Amino acid sequence: MKLPKTRRVTPAVPLASMGDIAFLLTIFFILTSNFAKDDTRKIKPPTARELEQMEKQNVSVSIDSDGGMFFNGRPVASPATIEAGVAGFLTGKKDPKDRMVVFRCDQGVDKKVFEPVLAAISKAGGVIAAVGESSQPPARN
Amino acid sequence: MPFARRKEKRDLDIPTDSVSDIAFLLIIFFILTTTLSKLSGFTAELPSADASQKQAAATDTKTPGVQIAGGKLLFNEQEVSLDTLRDRLLDLQLGKKEGQEKVVMLEAAGAVDYQTYYQAMAAISAAGGVVAIVEEGE
Repeated sequence: MKLPKTRRVTPAVPLASMGDIAFLLTIFFILTSNFAKDDTRKIKPPTARELEQMEKQNVSVSIDSDGGMFFNGRPVASPATIEAGVAGFLTGKKDPKDRMVVFRCDQGVDKKVFEPVLAAISKAGGVIAAVGESSQPPARN
Repeated sequence: MPFARRKEKRDLDIPTDSVSDIAFLLIIFFILTTTLSKLSGFTAELPSADASQKQAAATDTKTPGVQIAGGKLLFNEQEVSLDTLRDRLLDLQLGKKEGQEKVVMLEAAGAVDYQTYYQAMAAISAAGGVVAIVEEGE
């Protein structure tokens, strides 16, 4: 009796659509990424217990450990420039959620530097979202 | 007569073999540069006041005040620890109050670092208060 020939299936992985899948993933990452505007390497954030999670905002103001001020990642000379910049961004925005300004400041910066900046954001109509790191409450006996 | 050489047919296909490699390299780049961490902090809408306004507020109504001076923390001119400040602010039940009654004056004198200031602001904010920064006069 003649036995039927068995067809051998070659174990090849179909790679034709791999490029398409990869590009779809790339598009996903491009759309969901948030590129950091600020260089936060020189900012050691303050710590506090009572912190909550915040959403990212479009406007940010930072002060690094050297006292350098930055508005949306660009160095600025004075709080007056920050005030003008923030006011420009917030024009026509009335909802407090839309008026959020992310404020990052190094924990060692002196009041003489950060207080005028806080006042400038406030004068421009911004709601300050002060960024910090959560510290655990001490264990009570 | 010699015949003209046959033109070699060139392959007009775009080489796509390495496209997936390029795409995966891009994916790796985006994975590495994406920040998945969320910001933590607190939000505060700061009405600012100068020293004279603060004095008027303190005499007219009993606006609570937090002072930071010489590395010490004071609540209504009395020295307190950060934990005591939290408790005292919670006792005021600022969350249940409205308008001007929610305001807590924050005044810093001399050299004060942002860490101390931040903790005081966070405590006021967590207690439901509205921080009013008192700027030092010239």
